[in-house]
Parts: sequence; C-alpha cells; structure tokens
Amino acid sequence: MPERGIGRWVVAVPMFGLALATIYPMLFTLNVAMKSRREYVLDRFSLADQVTAANIAEAWNSSGLGRYTVNSVVVTAGAVALLLLLGSMAGFAFSQLTFRGRRWLFLVCLGALMIPFQVIMVPFFRVLGQTGLLDTHFGLILAYTGQFLPFTIFLMTSFYSRIPAEVVEAARVDGSTTLGVYRRIMLPLGLPALLSVGILNALFCWNDVLISLLVMQSEHNRTLMVGVTALRGQYSDNIPLFAGGVLVAALPVIAIYLFFQRQITDGVTAGATKG
Amino acid sequence: MAEAITAPQRTTAVRRWHVSEHKVAALVLVTPALLVIVGLRIVPLVLGAQYSLTGDGARNGVFVGLSNYQVLAGDPVFRTAIRNVGLLFLALPVAVAVPGILATFLFLKVPGHRFYRSVYFFPVVLSPVIIGAIFNILLSFDGPLNQVLTKAGLPPVDWLGNSHVAIFAVIGVHIWATFGMALVIFMAGFSTLDQSLLDAARCDGANLMQTVRHVVIPELSRTIQFVFVTTMIGMLTGMFGLVYVMTAGGPGGATYLPEFYIWVTQGQMNSPALASAASMVLFVLMLLVGLAQVRLIKRATKEA
Repeated sequence: MPERGIGRWVVAVPMFGLALATIYPMLFTLNVAMKSRREYVLDRFSLADQVTAANIAEAWNSSGLGRYTVNSVVVTAGAVALLLLLGSMAGFAFSQLTFRGRRWLFLVCLGALMIPFQVIMVPFFRVLGQTGLLDTHFGLILAYTGQFLPFTIFLMTSFYSRIPAEVVEAARVDGSTTLGVYRRIMLPLGLPALLSVGILNALFCWNDVLISLLVMQSEHNRTLMVGVTALRGQYSDNIPLFAGGVLVAALPVIAIYLFFQRQITDGVTAGATKG
Repeated sequence: MAEAITAPQRTTAVRRWHVSEHKVAALVLVTPALLVIVGLRIVPLVLGAQYSLTGDGARNGVFVGLSNYQVLAGDPVFRTAIRNVGLLFLALPVAVAVPGILATFLFLKVPGHRFYRSVYFFPVVLSPVIIGAIFNILLSFDGPLNQVLTKAGLPPVDWLGNSHVAIFAVIGVHIWATFGMALVIFMAGFSTLDQSLLDAARCDGANLMQTVRHVVIPELSRTIQFVFVTTMIGMLTGMFGLVYVMTAGGPGGATYLPEFYIWVTQGQMNSPALASAASMVLFVLMLLVGLAQVRLIKRATKEA
C-alpha cells in the first residue's frame, strides 16, 4: 500500500477532527458537571471556575442513584456468573466432545442469535408474570442470561475449538472424568476468553435499558440506566446537576474501558473474522 | 475418540467406559444452556407468533386471524415507524462507508492510529441512555449547539422538537455512537489481508483507489458483508434507549421505530397481541436483512 509521507498527514487532519467530535461531547458534559447552574446559564462553553465534584455528589445523594447502582451490580454480577458458567460448559461440549445431535443443537444456539429481545418481549413479560419473577432481581438475571447466552456460547465454542483434542484425551487416559476435565483443564485454559466474554456481557447488562424497564416495574428495583432516564425530568431546570448524574452512571464503564480495551475489542471482533 | 486410546492392553475397557461417561457428561454440560435458550428465546418466539393471531382486551385469547396485522397496516404511528426503518436503510451505506474509509486510513498507519482507534471505539461501550442524555443537553433548543449556530448568524434548529428534523438527529447520534464498532471489525478484517497481494498490486503500479477496489474489497467481502448485517441489525434493535431518552417517540410520533412501537403498545397501550404482531414484522425484517444482504454482497463482489 502506498504510504507517502504527505498523504498520511493529509488524512490525519480529518481523522483528528473526527476524534475531537467523538470525545468532545464527553468533555463538554464533564465541564458542565463542574459548573454552577448560574455559570451554565450565562455561558455554555466557558471552562468551569473550579474542579469540583459537588454536582456529582449532589446528584448521587438526592436521586436514589446509590440504590439503583446496587441493583445494577447485583443483576450484572448474577447474569455474568450464570452466562460464563453455562457458556463455558456448553462451549466445551460443542467443541471437544462428540455426541448425537451436536451439530444440530449448536445450530439451535446460533439461530437464537437472530431473535432480538424486542421480538419476544410480549410473551416473555407474560411468562415472567405467571411465574412470579416479574419485578425481581432473579427475573432480570434470567432475562439477561437468555438474551446473551447464544453469543457467549458462540465465542466460548470458537475459543475452545482451538485447544487440541489431545489435551482432553491425555487427561482422560490419566483417569480424569469429562466433568473433571472441564473443571481442572478447560476452566483455567479458558480464562482469557472468559475474561473477554465476561467484560462484554457485563457491559451489555449494565448498559441495558429496554429489558430492565420491562422486568423491573417498581421504583426501588430500578437499575442505574433506568434511573438515569428519570434524571432528565427531575433536573430539567438544572443541567449541571443532570450532567453530574449522567457522569456518575458513566464512570464505571469508562474505567472498564480504560483497563480492558483490548479484551473488549477482541471480543466484538472474534465473531467477525471467523466469517 | 478411538484415536485417543494409546494404552493398548486396556483398550476395550477404557473405550467402553469412555463412551458412556462421555455421553452423560456431554448431556450434563449442554442441557442447562439449551434449557435457557429454548425456554427463554425459542418458546417465546413461538408463543409470540401465536399471540399475534389473537385479540386484545375483551377478545383476549380469541383467535382473530390476521386482523392485528391489518390494524398495523392502517396505524399511522406504525407506518411512521416503518418509514423510519426506510430512512435507516438509506443511512446504512454511510454508516458502513465512514468506518470503512477510516479503517483504511488506520491500516495505512496514519500517525497516532492507536489513539484514534481507542477514541473512535469509546462511545460504543457507553449505554444509549448515557449517549442520549449527553445529546439531550447538546441538542436542546437553548443548548450549546444552537448557541453556536446563532453566533454564526444561522437560525437555531429545534433538533429534537421539530418532527421533520428529530428522526435525523436520532439516527445521526446512533451512527456517531456506533461507527467505532464497524471500525474495529473492519480492522480485524484488514489484519487478515494477505500482504503479498498488496505488494503485488504495488509492483503492478496500482494506486490506492485501484488497490482498494481490486484487492481489498474482494478480499474482505465477508467482513464487509458482516459489517452490513451487524450495522443494520444494530439499527433495528439497538436504538430503543436513544429514542426513549432523546424524544420518547415524539414529536407527534415522528421518531417511532418498530422496537419503540412494540414497547409502547405492550405497556402503555396494553395491547400485547397487537404488539406481538409488530414483533413478528420486526422479526421478518431482521431475517430479510440477513438474507438480502448476503445475496447483494455476493453479486457485488463477483462484478468487482
């Protein structure tokens, strides 16, 4: 490919402009969150007078975000644990074991990828209501597990299929049971994939609003993202406070992105290059 | 399994024990996941198809044939939702081409390409709720963007309150927030490109455009196809949070999308059967996207 010096700099200008356009809304919000209401009304763009977390703290204290955060942590942790357990078990079986109907059952799992939640939400809501799981943490955990399991199985299967069959066979000849192989060999070997899939699933669950709105009906069971949607009405005349609340809700995700960027992009592209 | 048995004197015993143990284990490992997928995805899909043929309210559970679908066809709000899906299709080439071109630049290793990749991908990890809230501030009528326009001597635009503008604002924000996803997929595709093909093109004196057209695009046809399908599916099923936060379907129903229509009809309107029918329309739309684009790309790459 041609890589003449001047051409590279010519494209670098729009690239930089676009990077600015990507990051600026976030920086703007951060700046606004440090302003007083008066400062914001007078000038939208001026730099905040001081670096302060006062708005963030007030938004946190006055709008129940703490409780919503606990709800989000509980359902995200529960769903991710269940997803990793079920996904790694099935992924191991689909990639390393031979049994009747293996190919067919794997296709069922992949086919479920094409069923978005929107398509099944009405019957899902009804069944959850009939089983008493509506408006419960466990109901939401189940909903997330059902939603993200096909994707998890797909990634774990393609990861485990790269492990040579001899590894499993050698362990078996040494007297290990198949379930023992799963526990002692496949789980430790799968850690990098489990980390990547786990972080992705955590983001999916944490960021979700549709499923959570549907399942969690009462105010005290709200997850954080649903709580954020309510902030707008609450702080419609105090944009800096609103910005503070939005920022609090975004912080955990920003932190995760800074630490685990590689795992996240590896995870989302794992499906693409396999075709 | 036979090839694994290496200890000759124990062969038959070991194999017999293996076969049965191994099958039971496979069953134990696969069953929980299958129960979840069949119970929480496939059974609800079948139930939904069935609900869509029954009535709401007084006719709850009564078979009504296709009348829900007739109601949908005549409902101006649902028609707007479908028209907006048409707009999404029109926006699709942009939503694929922009990250495609950017990925090409990054592949050419423009200065700072690692930094750009990290920045471009960042909005992808944020919830649509957070994105929508941020743009609620930026695009509000007395907000910063209009302040800039006014200072530049232009009339302010009611980005989220004008029924002709709002849907474009929402689509634009969605593309802004998700192009990083297509970008990293393209880059993963680029990393699989055969370097010798690129070198050969250069030896033959091909310029950048020719190289892209005759080498990169045909070689990456599967990646491009994957990006088309995932981007469109993202548009059909990933915009609920934005619509909910930015416009709540308004003004005057102008920013409805099928997923938002389903949610409102199910909940606020309390018409689950009608919502089920809309769900089935969305499902068929998704399947068509998958099939049609696979074909289109196949044809396009043959001509290229």
